[in-house]
This record gives sequence, C-alpha cells and structure tokens, in this order.
Amino acid sequence: MSSHSGRPPAWSYWVVLPSFVLFWALVAWFLKSPLLPTPLNVLDTLLRESASGELWHHLSATLARVIVAFVLAMLLGTAIGIVMGRSRTTNALFDPMLVLLLNLPALVTIILMYVWFGLVEVAAVMAVVINKVPNVAVTVREGARSLDFRLEEMATVYDFTRWQRFREVWVPQLFPYLMAATRGGLALIWKIVLVVELLGRSDGIGFQLHMAFQVFDVAAILAYSLAFIAVVQLIELAILQPLERHSSRWRQPETAHA
Amino acid sequence: MLELQIAGRSFGQPVLGEVFATIERGDRICLLGPSGIGKTTLLNAIAGLDKAIPAEAIIGREKLRVGYLFQEHRLLPWRTLNANLRLAGANHEEAEEHLASVGLKGYGHYLPDQLSLGMARRAALARCLAVKPDLLLLDEPFASLDPVMAGELKALIAGILDTNPGMAMICVTHDGGDAEILANRLWYLNGQPARLQWDDVVGEPRLINDLLGRLRNSEGFDLV
Repeated sequence: MSSHSGRPPAWSYWVVLPSFVLFWALVAWFLKSPLLPTPLNVLDTLLRESASGELWHHLSATLARVIVAFVLAMLLGTAIGIVMGRSRTTNALFDPMLVLLLNLPALVTIILMYVWFGLVEVAAVMAVVINKVPNVAVTVREGARSLDFRLEEMATVYDFTRWQRFREVWVPQLFPYLMAATRGGLALIWKIVLVVELLGRSDGIGFQLHMAFQVFDVAAILAYSLAFIAVVQLIELAILQPLERHSSRWRQPETAHA
Repeated sequence: MLELQIAGRSFGQPVLGEVFATIERGDRICLLGPSGIGKTTLLNAIAGLDKAIPAEAIIGREKLRVGYLFQEHRLLPWRTLNANLRLAGANHEEAEEHLASVGLKGYGHYLPDQLSLGMARRAALARCLAVKPDLLLLDEPFASLDPVMAGELKALIAGILDTNPGMAMICVTHDGGDAEILANRLWYLNGQPARLQWDDVVGEPRLINDLLGRLRNSEGFDLV
C-alpha cells in the first residue's frame, strides 16, 4: 500500500518542473497574450495577493472547510466501513446505498444541499462529506474484512478491552487502508470544496477562482492554483509522510541474534 | 477438587462428538490424536474461542485464568515484547521477569519480528505466564523447532509446571515422546465425530511410558 514504491528519484522533480516553467515562459513570451501570462506575472500576482492579505483570507477559509469535511468524512466513513466489514447484515443493508452514492456526481449533491438547506456553511460542508464518506467506507471495509482472525482470538483469550482491541489490534492493521483513504480523501475533498465555494460561498479559493473567471484574469487563476498546490504538497510532506514513516517502523526491524 | 468440566453433549458442531472430561489442578494432560481430528478445535472450545460451541459446554471456565500458546506466536508485531506482555495483564517489571524466566532477559524492547521462531515461541509462552494462568493451553508447542530448541522448550515448560504445582496444562502434540516428559495424564482423541477414546490418569510422568506402550499396541491407535 506504500505510495513510495512508484515514486521517481527526487532529481526528476528538479529537472522536469523547471523545464516546464521555462517552456511556459517561452510560449507566453512568444504569444504576448493576456490569456497566457508569464510565470513572472503569476508570481507577481501571487505576491500582491499575499501582501494584501486576500490570499491568506481565502486560503484559510478553504483550508478550514477541508479540515472539517475531512475529519467528519474520515470518522463517519471509518465507522461505517468497520461495521460493514465485520457484519454481513450491515453490509447487505448499506452496500446498495454505497453503490448509489459512489455513482452520484458530486455536483448533484452540492446543488441538492444548497437547494434544500440554502447557501449556508453547513450545506457546503455536508455536500463534501456526503461525497467523501462512501469512498472512505469502501476502503476501510476492505481493511476490516482482512483483519487477522488469529489476532482476534488472541485478543479474546487475553481479555483485551474494547478500546485495546480497537487501538492495539485493529488500528495498526487498518492503518494502510486509512492512509489510502486519507490520501485519496484529501485530493477529492480539495477539489469538491472548490466547486462548493464556486457555487455558493462568498470566500475561499473556489470563490476567488470564480471572480477571476468572470474577468478572465488568468494570472489570478494560476496564482491561486499555485498557492493551492503548494499547501497540498506541504500537508503531504509535513504531515502524511512523517505519519506513515512513524507508523510503519515496526515493519522492517533488524533481526536479533541469540 | 473440580476445576473445569467439559460436557461435550452440547458441542453442536460436526468435528467434535461427545467429549466429557474433568480437569483438576496439577493435571498435565497431553492431547494426542491424528491430524485434523479436532485437537485444536477442542483446545479452542476450552478457551472459549469457538462461537459454535455454547458456553454451557465448558463448565467453570469463567473462574479460570487461561494462558494459550497458539501454534503461531500471535504477538502483536507492532508492539514490543514488554508491551505485548503488559496487554496480557502484567506490569512493566513483571513482564521483564516473565521474559527472563523463558530465557529472554533484556529482550523486552524487541519487536516480535526481530526474533527467531524459537525465541518468538518462548516470548509467547512468557505472555501465557503474564496472566498468572490456572490452565495452560499449548497447541503443538514443539512443532517446526529443531530438536535442540524443542528440548529446551520442553525442559522450560516442565520447569514452569514443577514450580507451579497448582497449574493445569493441556498440550496438543503428535509425539508420544513429548508426553513422556510432560504428561501425567493422556487424552487420545479419535473417531468421526471425534471422542476421547482414552483418558488415563497416571500418577507420575514416568508411568506414561507404560501407558504409551499399551496405547501403541492397541488397535486403531494412530498419531499421524
């Protein structure tokens, strides 16, 4: 389940990405069109938006929605996934609903939430959560189905409490699935949050992209996208990867000799 | 002095037939029988792991502390040996003492996957001791160990039983030789569905030899 296995060496990022920026600069310089600003234009816009505080205002609004929606979706999805993986009856009851929700376009959920509950924050976050919960549930269900029955028996014999069974036996086995759900979840939630903001909020990156779209301000669109990508990468590097390394330490221990 | 009663009339599952037995303090039982006959099933039933078997089939279990040495070590691979023993009810110092008593002094901070098969099995045995068991269930404890390691483990288990005379043990094995060292009582499980065809109490371990000899000569006796 490790995401590192398919990862190219670090230098490739330092070659490919600058080359791309160079290529972009050349094309922009050649076209001289306001519809394709140069990288320097975009950087300039980014710095201006940052200095005026606009960028931080909208970025933090989006980030707050992402965090709330993510936490709710993970908690709900994990609980549903575990129950579905452990009980055939629950699985039979919930599975048709999962299939329905998994195939429901995100846009439909967002529109319905706004229509039913109005253009309010709760409706926005609810729409994101409803879109994400089925994915988490399906992933965690796979994990719950593959729980080792031998460790379950061990936990029964040695009188583990419910909490110990959850914390010591289940969570470490579910961890790769939870990480997969987290990664996929963040990527999906970011994108849905932008659409939610575009359609019915008055702050956030999605709202700003909408405003820039109205006046064809491509530099602003690219500047906000860049800020966005940077934050997502920061979360990956600063939180997800260290968490994964910390929790996988037991997998590759050195052997003892005696 | 009654400790644990197996009333197999109500087992209600296909492998085991009617199995009746009473286990008392100090009983060192070796459970013999051909592969796949239900020895592990019987052990799981006694430990309360088989959901198909109603609780009333095993009388007195709730009053007993049971230590179960599974065929695999079944230690949590993400927890150190010390933490594994603490989850079974020992505190930090007790865990270290139990580990030392099975020859793993100073290994408390090791992870199970860092150990050899023999060491991991001894660590699992230490976890059995961590519950201060009245009844020790051992499922083929000597399987896939080389003769030297198997011999050491046999001596270790015999030593544990000698220092805890109140402890009872049921040890599943294919090998009559294990019984000669460990047992003062023999169970022989066979048939379809399986029953205890022999349940002989022998006062002293050395008398097991005679019993095994008679068993081997009897008709239909089969350990493999």
